[in-house]
Amino acid sequence: MDIAAVLQWIESTSLAARIRDSLLLFPLLESIHVIGLALVFGTIAIIDLRLLGTASTERPFKRMAADIMKWTWGAFALTALTGSLMFTTNATVYYHNFYFRTKMLLLVLAGINMLVFELTLGRVVHRWDTAPSAPKAGKAAAILSIAIWISVIFAGRLIGFTTSRAKQAAPAPPDSSLEELFQSAPSDTPKAPPK
Amino acid sequence: MKSFAEWLSTTALSVFLQNHNSWAIPTIQSIHIVGIAIVLGSVLMIDLRILGWAGMDQTLRQTANRFGPWLTGALWLMLATGILMVIGEPVRELITFSFWLKMVLVAVSAAVAIILQRAVRNHEEMVAKRRGVKLLAIVTFLVWACIIILGRLIAYDHVWGAWSPSAKQ
Repeated sequence: MDIAAVLQWIESTSLAARIRDSLLLFPLLESIHVIGLALVFGTIAIIDLRLLGTASTERPFKRMAADIMKWTWGAFALTALTGSLMFTTNATVYYHNFYFRTKMLLLVLAGINMLVFELTLGRVVHRWDTAPSAPKAGKAAAILSIAIWISVIFAGRLIGFTTSRAKQAAPAPPDSSLEELFQSAPSDTPKAPPK
Repeated sequence: MKSFAEWLSTTALSVFLQNHNSWAIPTIQSIHIVGIAIVLGSVLMIDLRILGWAGMDQTLRQTANRFGPWLTGALWLMLATGILMVIGEPVRELITFSFWLKMVLVAVSAAVAIILQRAVRNHEEMVAKRRGVKLLAIVTFLVWACIIILGRLIAYDHVWGAWSPSAKQ
């Protein structure tokens, strides 16, 4: 299947059009996305700091992680949903955007990091559950996790900057004068979300 | 306020941020969002403990002691990055309805957080027993969520219609 066609179909759905045409929907989706990602990173950081022995050192790791992670996953679902809805409004541009691709790659890396941790130290958690910090590999996973999630936030913010600017700086059609372009601008220019 | 914003945009730091806006503004905004994550994560943990939905292996005081300092520290980080964002784009930030409503809610929420933290430290049992405290936990969390929404709406202040000062110009 042709990816370009799929992306165009996503943009042409009535759902995407509805979000594009609304004054309030896109900013609200962005806001809920920020609330979701803040809860994702905020709660993951609590667990990472526990692994590093920086904070919550008196709490057994397993119980604490189980207690918090369900909120992390709930927030992640909210973030993924709002992110997907934003993606539909301008799928082709996002798909080709460097920071969008970087962010998706970073999300995969965060998942792999978590999976490796679960399959190694997670399997022998009883050995270090009540220790004030995790073994060295756990600390490494925690530092990696914090670094990846902060990078995800930076990449995400840069998507907003580069996609709205990319549209503003879109090249003029080959055979049109500057005046014609200005005259037709209000109706032809797609509504670019502010950065 | 318009003339203050215009004066601010002529200051050396503002000019520097404007000249380097392609990396400076997104970097400051991203640090601001990292701050949001620390604030909201901390507020969530304290509020869930008040509601009895998480962290029940800890007392309320232990929870407040664990997350209170991070909440306060992150608020200072957000104040610093927020001020830089205002200096970098004074008119875009200050001539909006969203910004000022956000500032009012931030002031109220920060005051409530500080008062609650002191109350937990000094009269933990009394705080834990009051039913109103659970309602307060839910309300404060929702107000922090509104603050985040208003922060994003600074970029879309036209959604307020005639309430947006930029609509009058």
